[in-house]
Amino acid sequence: MGTTNKKSDVLIIIPAYNEAENIENIIDEITTGYPQYDYVVVNDGSSDGTAKILKKRGYNHINCPINLGIGGAIQTGYRYAKEKDYRIAVQIDGDGQHDPAYIEEIITPIIEGKADYVIGSRFVNKEGFQSSVTRRMGIKFLSGLITVLCFHKVKDVTSGFRAVNKFFIDVFADNYPIDYPEPEAIMDAVMRRKRILELPVIMRERETGKSSINFKRSIYYMIKVTLDIIVCRISYGIRR
Amino acid sequence: MNQIIPTRLTIVLIVAIVSYFIIILSLLKHRKLNMKYTLLWLFTGVVFLVLVLHPMILVYFLRLCGITGTMNGLFILLIGFLIMLVLSLTSIASRQAGRITKLIQTQGLLEKRVRELEEKLEEK
Repeated sequence: MGTTNKKSDVLIIIPAYNEAENIENIIDEITTGYPQYDYVVVNDGSSDGTAKILKKRGYNHINCPINLGIGGAIQTGYRYAKEKDYRIAVQIDGDGQHDPAYIEEIITPIIEGKADYVIGSRFVNKEGFQSSVTRRMGIKFLSGLITVLCFHKVKDVTSGFRAVNKFFIDVFADNYPIDYPEPEAIMDAVMRRKRILELPVIMRERETGKSSINFKRSIYYMIKVTLDIIVCRISYGIRR
Repeated sequence: MNQIIPTRLTIVLIVAIVSYFIIILSLLKHRKLNMKYTLLWLFTGVVFLVLVLHPMILVYFLRLCGITGTMNGLFILLIGFLIMLVLSLTSIASRQAGRITKLIQTQGLLEKRVRELEEKLEEK
């Protein structure tokens, strides 16, 4: 229950915005199935009673009083991880898409010192929920863009299932992309010349609730993220 | 004297600029403006005052840029200044958004600590 005592070196960060229907399932899955890890839920100014559930169930959680968006919420988690001196942080979505069973797999390369940044990817083995055709096209485009700009291939650039080591906990605690942070965070990692690893995971279709990116917004998403990536690339300059 | 701006217009412009300064100063006096963000506004006012008093500078400058028509040029200049001001405001807004984010996060982290301390106190 709502414990502050650190019992693990691994912190699972779960951003939650209006996830009242899903949050209990996912947290219970973690606390019963994988009690060896610490976790923190970042309630990103939800208006649907998520905060009440978190409090009632005594989950370890942080309440952001105002909605910050996914980037700001995740960064809160990273700041918490830095404050508590965790050595590994895993971020998973609060909607139940990511199966906690894969956490061990994606943190192993970090524990073994073989990688600094691990991405749980849908597209390595092409198993499980693969998202819609249009979305896959968008992801392919962004992935291609990152490959062209920094010579590093990451297939599932929008995956929110990630694990990072202490170095990136500190980096992201100070500075994390704001709106749709996933592709840009990869750029950050690549440009810092860190070892990035993409491991296959099987994702589930979200249980209930709506995805944060609807059809109309996807156009805005593509334009914004494309520009973000290009600007991020430029700001790192030629040095690599 | 070959007048670039008619005397009447010069007087109107000077009155306008002076009242512009008075408004800014009174806002500053009542602390409704931050000096930091007012500098560009003041600078704009000074530039326009100089241009009204010495229109030849404007004419020379416009000729240099290949803009014909003094009034035309004045408008172009004004729009240029406005764009710069709006850009600086956008930049201020962006920076503040970043700072607010940091504050909200800190508040969230602190709230968690307070909550847990309270829980501990209750247990005792």
